[in-house]
Amino acid sequence: MSSQALLYVIVLPVAWLLLWLLKGARARQALLLIVSYGLYASFGPRFLALLIFSSILNYGLGILLRRKPSGGRLWLGIVFNVALLGTFKYVPAIAPLLPTSSLSGSLTGIALPVGISFWTFQALSYLFDLYREEELEPSLLEFLLYMAFWPTVLSGPICRLSTLLPQFRDPFQPTSEDVRRGLDRICTGLFMTALGQVLGSGLHPGQGIDGIFDSSTRGLTGPDVWCLAIGYGFELFFNFAGYTHMVIGAARVFGFRLDENFDRPYLSTTPSEFWTRWHMSLSFWIRDYLFLPMVMLRRDAWWRSFVLVLSMVVFGLWHKGAVLFLLWGLYQGLLLVVHRQWQQLQVRHDWQLSQTIMAPLSWLVTFCTICLGWVFFRANTVTQALTMLHAAANLGSFPRATLPANLFILVAVLALGYFATIGSQRLLHNYSETLTIPLEFRFALYAVAVYIGIFHAAQTQAFIYFQF
Amino acid sequence: MKSLTSIGRWCLGLVIFAIVLEVCARVDDVVTYGAPFWGPYNDEILLQRDSIGKWGKPGARYAKWQLNSLGYRGPELRVGSVRILTMGASETFGLYEAPGEEYPRQLERDLNLWAGKDLFQVVNVAFAGETLPTTIVRVPQIVRQIHPSYALIYPDLSSYIWMSLRSPANNLPAQDASRSGLKFESRLSGRVENLLKQALPISIQNELRKISMRREITSRHYVILDRLPEDRFEHFRQDLQALIAALRDYEVEPVLVTHATIFSRPLSESDRISLTHWRKIYPMLKEEGFLDMEKRMNDVIRQTAVEEHLPLIDAEKEMPHGPKYFADFVHFTTYGAGVMASILANGMEPLLHSQLQAANVMTQDGSAVQPNPAGGDQR
Repeated sequence: MSSQALLYVIVLPVAWLLLWLLKGARARQALLLIVSYGLYASFGPRFLALLIFSSILNYGLGILLRRKPSGGRLWLGIVFNVALLGTFKYVPAIAPLLPTSSLSGSLTGIALPVGISFWTFQALSYLFDLYREEELEPSLLEFLLYMAFWPTVLSGPICRLSTLLPQFRDPFQPTSEDVRRGLDRICTGLFMTALGQVLGSGLHPGQGIDGIFDSSTRGLTGPDVWCLAIGYGFELFFNFAGYTHMVIGAARVFGFRLDENFDRPYLSTTPSEFWTRWHMSLSFWIRDYLFLPMVMLRRDAWWRSFVLVLSMVVFGLWHKGAVLFLLWGLYQGLLLVVHRQWQQLQVRHDWQLSQTIMAPLSWLVTFCTICLGWVFFRANTVTQALTMLHAAANLGSFPRATLPANLFILVAVLALGYFATIGSQRLLHNYSETLTIPLEFRFALYAVAVYIGIFHAAQTQAFIYFQF
Repeated sequence: MKSLTSIGRWCLGLVIFAIVLEVCARVDDVVTYGAPFWGPYNDEILLQRDSIGKWGKPGARYAKWQLNSLGYRGPELRVGSVRILTMGASETFGLYEAPGEEYPRQLERDLNLWAGKDLFQVVNVAFAGETLPTTIVRVPQIVRQIHPSYALIYPDLSSYIWMSLRSPANNLPAQDASRSGLKFESRLSGRVENLLKQALPISIQNELRKISMRREITSRHYVILDRLPEDRFEHFRQDLQALIAALRDYEVEPVLVTHATIFSRPLSESDRISLTHWRKIYPMLKEEGFLDMEKRMNDVIRQTAVEEHLPLIDAEKEMPHGPKYFADFVHFTTYGAGVMASILANGMEPLLHSQLQAANVMTQDGSAVQPNPAGGDQR
């Protein structure tokens, strides 16, 4: 457990109690802002200064856009936010390529403020919405809170002001249902992040997904690479979706309802569907503010494909200014284009394929191609990624596996366990209205989740998406 | 009435929450370490009592610490090896290092790498809280069991701070001896403590240590020392000489090692925090007194090496300082243990040269390894 996590555990219950005592919306917003700034400052006071600077400037740009929603003013906002993000996120990445060593040295040392990608995109969505003449009139206090809101500021979900503003203005009245559901989700998140940690660190030291990616991956066979790709896909999912569960759950305890970020993504049967189920808040942001406005500019098929690829490249580069993320975005974009071409072929030739065969086949192809793409996301170098992909496609290497058997078993158990859990959830869904878990049993389940998520995970594992 | 029931159920829920957490901790111990579900589970289960005092329990295991069938940390004795003892206290026993990475194990690997074969075996006969007087009494038993050729002596100097407060034969500080195996001990409390140690900022932890230290000084009426009086160093000198003599009686060649710490000069802020951490265990000695103690006791080790014509490995001078090497004031990190092992290996290699040559000659002749000149029978 980090110092920051302890601070959250101490501060939030106190804030929750204090909010009950405050009557006015402004007083509650002020308290939430103080709490949000205090928690964010624990990651570095300089980061907080930058967040406040960005918030005030974006609020000012918002006033300009409200008065006259012109393209010029919107572009001013876009340039400012992209420049801010670029300075802290991309300049250090390209600095080593600069000829002057002293300059490149100082630029490389620029620290990445926690959550900058998330809150910058929130600021941009506000400006885009104003340009579209949405009725958004936050006070400065409300806008500062929107940008720094403690559940979302570190790793999302990337929220829209239209979702949060009414909730900021509502009375503070979390119901027992909110608290119960919130705690349920926090515990689910703890459990999922613990599973992610098990995959990352393995059952034995150095035998987890991360350890193998970080050591030499030469000599890996096809089954090894597939195990690593699928394993990392689940590690990332458990880690990020688990974190999101905790964020949404913590906000729910306070009575706030945040947008979902994941919707059983590995059940997707097409790449397009996958991107409506994985990191949904970013995916929908890209769709609404980049893909749709751009695709409307021309009606040509090639333009649509180009914008699709471009959007996914931006999606990739949003994570990090690195060639590997560019390649990952390119790969995902190409998958979407290929899928679209396939759909058009089906329509053009009126292929009627049996759903009994097509649905599982389509799921399998989608699952495998998406998982293979994670190699770009996790590899440490382009060479490593390409070597691994080559091995994955090398059918001659398939009878052999060099990774420890326990890793194959672990990945298989967790992957199958995930699908089995979803299956059982569907079965239970019909009974969920009548099924009530007694309070005492619920506390016992919470204890198990807290133990697995906090105590058993003695060594702290950072949330993967904190680095973005 | 309804609200009372509700409050009651919430209270019951919280009790269940705490009980299930404790059960989870116990199941975790069972699964991870093979610990018993019921009963106490702490470092005391590594120890047994005999006429001399506390000693390692053969085959005992607690968390990452595993003792062999003789009650020493490490693997079983290997037949045909040249054996080297490491004597000392918790620094030698190993606290923070990953299992198998304490300096005796790393030293063994380094020496065998140098030898090009599995010729040497380093036997770690140290225990946390072990004192020189106890080790002296144990020498006959240790030699009878292990038949070593050399003994690396890395003494725990701070045990001499306690001298006037407890009997020399008792290995552990007075407060540890009161730990009973019968009373209920929560397995969760240690985990909570560890979590807080991870999470609390170091400055807050330091202030908490100071508060606890002041409380202990007041409650136990300790006389505060600026520096250790000279008689402690004289005791240490006599004990060291007695240990050397005892080992020589059994034809075991002692090698003295000076004591290394995390502290660099001038002291950094983190050094001062480490000093407070150290003082929390020995509240009767002021922080600066520890540095003075280290210097004077290392001088005693150096003088003794000269007087007794013994090889000396000056780890105090050779070992780098700082948190990369030390997890606290004197205990090594895994990396630090590796550095210490290589310092010791460099110091030992000239001494072991004859053993290696003899072993090589025997290998060429195709016969067994001959008895070594220093007296071990190398079974």
